[in-house]
Amino acid sequence: MTGAAPQKRAGARDSATDFLTVLFREPLDPGYARAARRQADAVPRPRWRVRSARGIRLLVLVLIGFLLMTAYQHAVAATPGTTKAHERLVSDVKARRAQTDELQQQADRLREDVVRARDEALADSDEARRLHDLAAAIGLAGVHGDGIVVRLADGPAQPDPVTGQAAASNPGRVLDRDLQDIANALWHGGAEAIAINGQRLTATSTIRAAGAVILVDFAPVTGPYQVSAIGPDDLDKTFGDSATARRFRSYVDVYRMQFSVRKQEGMTLPAAAEPQLRYARPPGASPEPSASAVLSPSGGTT
Amino acid sequence: MIAGVALILGVVLGFVLEPTVPVGLQPYLPIAVVAALDAVFGGIRARLDGIFDDKQFVVSFVSNVLVAGLIVYLGDQLGVGGQLSTGVVVVLGVRIFGNVAGIRRHMFRA
Repeated sequence: MTGAAPQKRAGARDSATDFLTVLFREPLDPGYARAARRQADAVPRPRWRVRSARGIRLLVLVLIGFLLMTAYQHAVAATPGTTKAHERLVSDVKARRAQTDELQQQADRLREDVVRARDEALADSDEARRLHDLAAAIGLAGVHGDGIVVRLADGPAQPDPVTGQAAASNPGRVLDRDLQDIANALWHGGAEAIAINGQRLTATSTIRAAGAVILVDFAPVTGPYQVSAIGPDDLDKTFGDSATARRFRSYVDVYRMQFSVRKQEGMTLPAAAEPQLRYARPPGASPEPSASAVLSPSGGTT
Repeated sequence: MIAGVALILGVVLGFVLEPTVPVGLQPYLPIAVVAALDAVFGGIRARLDGIFDDKQFVVSFVSNVLVAGLIVYLGDQLGVGGQLSTGVVVVLGVRIFGNVAGIRRHMFRA
């Protein structure tokens, strides 16, 4: 057979040459050239063999396409497992937040309905007016009036003296304590209604820190903080002369915190969220909640 | 022409059937794909060179996939599966590149 000799020689050369060199110089499978040579030398193959070879080739091509698609689908399904989980969580959070907003709006609407129904029922009596005033005082109704706005913002992060980069802890950062002090000083100065970034404070409001975020009644507020207070005409003077304001002015000098007080006319402060009612029970009595239980109107915070 | 139709038919089949890959075979899927691509580009190159051979094509595909899978399997058993996969991908990748360069020379004369 004539094809055997060159085939043998080619094999010897392959093993003799550096594998990588061959790989780079002749990427095509040498079998193709060999087969072509063999075919040229040999007699033509019978037709059925050609046919069946072509059929197998097509079958293999179908198989390759199938393999490619399978691998693609597998990659799409498997690789971004963590990404998908993350995306699902994000969309979950967004959906829940939207749901919360919707429920909050619904609650606000229903509360307005209740107030309107109550006003109709009480029909312009002195009681109704008194109720209105009380609701405004404890923060369950929106109020409108003149007052002051205290603006408070974080000081710039001071560079670390050693590394020159921004220090991890910034003493000029506004803390929950600062907002508490300002709110208390404003109450002390005679403020009738206070809101932080539009979040109305009531007698039971909380100003807390969770990590680096300040929560007012469990809702996060971000800087710059605007503490709006409606109160007597001399509120700006009273507050400006208070020990708290003096302390913050010194913070401005020392930590470059931003602090300003200005008068503002015609402010509207929204109603606070409905407070959670706590029922008082006489000790030892039946655990049945009394129907006339009301929120204890325990004055303002001091 | 018919080859392209067959390839697309396979893709459509894969899309329609949505086969689930057994967990044990999943690590070999990417390697099998690279081996199949090597066979395909080798076949195209040979066709353009005028030396295409059905038997050679079928054998190169089957052996490529089997040998690549075997190497990775052995590597997995020896604890060097990742490195051996890289080796297989490098070798097959170099061949794919070379063959694509050959195809390019045929098509654009450059």
